[in-house]
Amino acid sequence: MKVELDKSLTLPVAASTGWSLVENIEGMASCMPGAKITERVDATHYKGTITVKLGPATVSFKGELEVVAIDPVARTIHVIGKGADTGGGSGASLDLNAVVKEIGPDTCELSGVSVVNVTGKVAAFGSRLMGTVTDQLLKIFFDNVLAKAQELQASAPTAEVTPARAAAPVVEAKFNGLAFVWTIVKDFIASLFGRPKTG
Amino acid sequence: MDQNVENHERLEKLEGIGCSRKRREDPRFIQGKGNYVDDIKLPGMLFAVMVRSPYAHAKIKSIDTTKAKAHPGVHAVLTADDLKPLKLHWMPTLAGDVQAVLADGYVSFQNQEVAFVVADDRYVAADAAELVEVDYEELPVVVDPFKALLPDAPVIRPDLDGKNVGAHGARKHHNHIFNWQIGDKDKTDRAFSDAEVTVAQDMHYPRVHPCPLETCGSVASYDAIRGDLTVWITSQAPHVVRTVVGLLSSIPESKIRIISPDIGGGFGNKVGVYPGYVCAIVASIVLGRPVKWIESRSENLTTTAFARDYWMSGELAADKSGKIKALRVNVTADHGAFDACADPTKWPAGMFHVCTGSYDIPNAHVSVDGVYTNKFPGGVSYRCSFRVTEAVYLVERMIDVLAQKLNIDKAEIRKRNFIKYEQFPYLTPLGLEFDSGNYMPALEKVLEAVDYNALRAEQAQKRADPTCPTLMGIGITTFTEIVGAGPSKSCDILGIGMFDSCEIRVHPDGSAIARMGTISQGQGHQTTYAQIIASESGIAASQIAVEEGDTSTAPYGLGTYGSRSTPVAGAAVARASRKIREKARKIAAHLLEVSPDDLEFDLDQFKVKGDPAKAKTMKEIAWAAYNNVPDGMEMGLEAVDYYDPPNFTFPFGAYLCVVDVHKKTGETKVRRFYALDDCGTRINPMIIEGQIHGGLTEGFAVAMGQELPYDEQGNVLGGTLMDYFLPTSMETPHWETDFTVTPSPHHPIGAKGVAESPHVGSIPCFSNAMVDAFAHLGTTHFNMPYNSYRVWQHAKSLGL
Repeated sequence: MKVELDKSLTLPVAASTGWSLVENIEGMASCMPGAKITERVDATHYKGTITVKLGPATVSFKGELEVVAIDPVARTIHVIGKGADTGGGSGASLDLNAVVKEIGPDTCELSGVSVVNVTGKVAAFGSRLMGTVTDQLLKIFFDNVLAKAQELQASAPTAEVTPARAAAPVVEAKFNGLAFVWTIVKDFIASLFGRPKTG
Repeated sequence: MDQNVENHERLEKLEGIGCSRKRREDPRFIQGKGNYVDDIKLPGMLFAVMVRSPYAHAKIKSIDTTKAKAHPGVHAVLTADDLKPLKLHWMPTLAGDVQAVLADGYVSFQNQEVAFVVADDRYVAADAAELVEVDYEELPVVVDPFKALLPDAPVIRPDLDGKNVGAHGARKHHNHIFNWQIGDKDKTDRAFSDAEVTVAQDMHYPRVHPCPLETCGSVASYDAIRGDLTVWITSQAPHVVRTVVGLLSSIPESKIRIISPDIGGGFGNKVGVYPGYVCAIVASIVLGRPVKWIESRSENLTTTAFARDYWMSGELAADKSGKIKALRVNVTADHGAFDACADPTKWPAGMFHVCTGSYDIPNAHVSVDGVYTNKFPGGVSYRCSFRVTEAVYLVERMIDVLAQKLNIDKAEIRKRNFIKYEQFPYLTPLGLEFDSGNYMPALEKVLEAVDYNALRAEQAQKRADPTCPTLMGIGITTFTEIVGAGPSKSCDILGIGMFDSCEIRVHPDGSAIARMGTISQGQGHQTTYAQIIASESGIAASQIAVEEGDTSTAPYGLGTYGSRSTPVAGAAVARASRKIREKARKIAAHLLEVSPDDLEFDLDQFKVKGDPAKAKTMKEIAWAAYNNVPDGMEMGLEAVDYYDPPNFTFPFGAYLCVVDVHKKTGETKVRRFYALDDCGTRINPMIIEGQIHGGLTEGFAVAMGQELPYDEQGNVLGGTLMDYFLPTSMETPHWETDFTVTPSPHHPIGAKGVAESPHVGSIPCFSNAMVDAFAHLGTTHFNMPYNSYRVWQHAKSLGL
């Protein structure tokens, strides 16, 4: 199945700071719950893993990321990825285009358009959950990116370092599974009554 | 009086044709004492699991089995490279194509077989299967048969590169399998040009699956010392499997024993030979140990033999009174990645040409194109004869479309077009000879039973009331099925004529054993065959053991599917019984010292004409067969019959369905379903009733919920019972059944076969009812399955 995602997020940092977040592939990956870069092959090739809980099943994908194009001036990046779950039952691919746009001196917008193709067991059995799970993952991802951005902003030379750091929310390396499942259930129940999804 | 009582007792004891004899199979099934393939446990037996492709279309760059082989408890991991030296990496299909046993360099459907892991038990095998590392390179996927025929469509079968001619003639495109045509195209086209009225309708018969309760599986055991191969297998055609295994392995058929033990439903799913069977055999030969392979539910639903996936365009030409002048049909048939349809060799669209139905249509032409897509192979007959469900669906839908166009009542238009009783045997414009039928009384009986006029009046009242929350639909079908494949002049599988067989041995004590080339999967053969023998030979059914499914003991037969057991093997049973009876007559004459012509057969004995006190029972004759036979006669009392039917049989029925559809939710309630079947001579009314209930329930399942949809990436989305609708008693409507009896004139006992009619006849009946519910709003068709969501979508599109 194909999932197309078109999301944007306003960050309370300068565009250059926002861009520094985006171009750091390892850093960005760490914002995605369950994901991590395991190896930097060269400047444009990475290896990584992502573990996703889909209903009662947990799937771990192992794959490769390639930065196809990166333009620090226009602040755009094009990344493609491909992976398979460690049990061999599913495959996934990713095509992501992201851009950081300046909105104001201390504000920028990160927007990304990505196409995720999923095949195999995950698609066959998890299709009903995919939309909600993806939404939730992205919500956490954006929260984490925002937190990182705030952290960067706080650590900027003009700011008072220590108190701001203390105030910045901690980026959760491991996301809260129970809360995550609860949000999905809540969304599902809400959808039965035709209310828009949260998040 | 005493004589009558005695005769009645004898008749009761005999339990012959017409008795509602209780099923002999049931005591073991209801006590959990059945013996299915997965119950087979042999010393040293290993278990195998398939590694399957997550991709619908991909190149295989490499397969690394090192880790899987190193896993404790693993005995072997087979890939195509291991099968190549044996030339078993590809196998022939029943449709004249080839199919990869294990993927040979590329995969062309999701869940295709890639490697076969053999281990101590099924759990170790499953764990090790996850350790097989396959490096795939994804290729573009095509799941739509129309897109598959575009010039730049992905090549699904590179192995067929350059082959412009397939098993059924010219291929016009790299994803094209065949074009099959029947009928007089010019005459049909002329009839359309001259017609007062024409109608056309496109319809899709979705991809569904027979989904038997027991999935497919086998246990292969090769004895290296004796050189014998024994395979327990869930097969509807064990002898055909033996021939295929012989062809593939070069082991002589005399050294191969195929045993189909109890089978938990087949419905067409268990006709073919699947990669798992072949791999289990190879693994057993290589390892010298028995190997068991059993599918999971999802493997069953997504890899072994789907049914249908027919895109049909029907057209009718008629005059203004609704009298049909011609039928024209074009079909695009999605066969998946390999053409593994189970059809008679000469007919790649099976018996689709029965599509003129119960109607006297003078001109017809059918064209069917088979197409490859990135979907799993199959195209089997799910509880029907070859492609008959599709054919009946088409004509029964089309006649309703015509009725709506002409504003003629849907029962009336059928009456105007029926083949009349006196026209039988009736030659259809597509070359079939219908043996017998009497359609008008059947339909009238149904209309009267349900008070059809009152139903239509209620419908009119509800349509006139805008506050009515429901739409009422009335569906009618008056279908004719074609079963009993078939005459060897037109039907063969792998070159073997589609006869069937029976062997009966009468023991000295008057009991008997009968063996057939068919195999029951729930039809109750052990019960009904014995009833035929009882009526024809005078041996009480309770004294007859019926055995099937072991190729080392049963005579060669083509198996059980397409309602062929009664029309073909049942005829062999009757004829073998008659051979027994005629030998018994000679022995009785010898014992009674009269001429055989002076004897008359009376239930279970031969009596001297005019002197009924002088008689010999079958029991007495059986004893004499082993010690006192006429001079020159061989001892013993046994007979074998191989029956090649002169024609098919044509059961028919008249069904009526009433549905209430909620306008706002799409929820549909089947208020009433009345099914009248005519299967000719009725052997066991109770079993017929059970078969009709089963067929109607599976028809309900198909019409209202079953579907195996694919997304554009080739993911099959119906692969679990959470997605694939299998009705339970909670969802299943109440069935009302009825019958008429119009025997087949060419069958030895006039029987026609019944198990599939209710499936074939009910599906268009549900469709007709659903469309009828919306007919006053201009709907002429919408596609199955009618789950609430789809019906709601349709209602919404009409502004309801």
